[in-house]
Amino acid sequence: MSNLENYKKAFLSSFPIKEEQLEKLEYNQIDEWDSIGHMGLMSELEEKFKITLSTDDIVDFSSFQKGKKILKKYKINI
Amino acid sequence: MLKSKVVLITGSSRGIGKAILERFAVESFDIIACSNKKNKIHIEYCKRLSKKNKIKIYPLFFNFNSKDEINEGVENIKKLNVKINYLINNAGIITTSSFQMTKESDLNEIFKVNFLNQFYFTQHISKMMIRTDGSKGIVNISSSSGLDNDTGRSVYSASKASMISISSTLSKELSAFKIRVNTIAPGLIETDMMRNNTKEEYIEKMLNRVSLKRIGKPEEIANVVFFLCSDLSSYINGQTIRVDGGMH
Repeated sequence: MSNLENYKKAFLSSFPIKEEQLEKLEYNQIDEWDSIGHMGLMSELEEKFKITLSTDDIVDFSSFQKGKKILKKYKINI
Repeated sequence: MLKSKVVLITGSSRGIGKAILERFAVESFDIIACSNKKNKIHIEYCKRLSKKNKIKIYPLFFNFNSKDEINEGVENIKKLNVKINYLINNAGIITTSSFQMTKESDLNEIFKVNFLNQFYFTQHISKMMIRTDGSKGIVNISSSSGLDNDTGRSVYSASKASMISISSTLSKELSAFKIRVNTIAPGLIETDMMRNNTKEEYIEKMLNRVSLKRIGKPEEIANVVFFLCSDLSSYINGQTIRVDGGMH
């Protein structure tokens, strides 16, 4: 599975959304992506990509697009 | 074959932590036994305990006064590739000095070890625990000082009170992931740390406030930790339980 597929899968397993919604998805845009949902998503991404996200990056992770840039810092190219 | 539950214990090489380690070993948990300094005696002890109880014990060493060491510790925990059911935040240090005689360095050190880095470590481990199936929880070892604010223990008491406060918040936030969070506030317990940091006259004075008129044993704290990590306590969340022989 490619990094992009894994990345999308983390979102799709964390929130009840469709793949078409992902590209423009932002934090707090849907009820489920609140601070609690965010923890679940971060946990999922850490597991999938075998990384440990810093707290600053977790706080900055504000959208589907921003997340791609953050993961680049961990050598995960999406 | 049923998979063993996994408990991560910090400060596991002596005192209350060691008693917790022994208690969970007897109960057939696999254990990540963390302590601050590499210690051959502790490693050998873990091996014997592991063999005797037919469980896995992973001794890991990192110091709570160093964020770098904690980061390394977290990476080593991840490498074990186990699902953590329970986290016991037991590591801690103590200092005794009156308010005006407390050095800034002690203030920083105590808060760093007893609160700030516990907070940081728990951020990492709780993220891992989200993905664990089955029962799970966090037990923070605070102190009766965190509730009673004993004379001469302003910084220590404040750091332990902070743990009580954060436990209460965490119990609410992590309940979404079915992680229960509780705190134990031990009173006067027979450990090296207590003996080395408490004057005999102070111990006598404290004992006068204890209904049972004796010092507690580390195993008596371990029993309550185990209770809070068992399904017997499945409806207990966000509580601070005093284990102090009836201190008044």
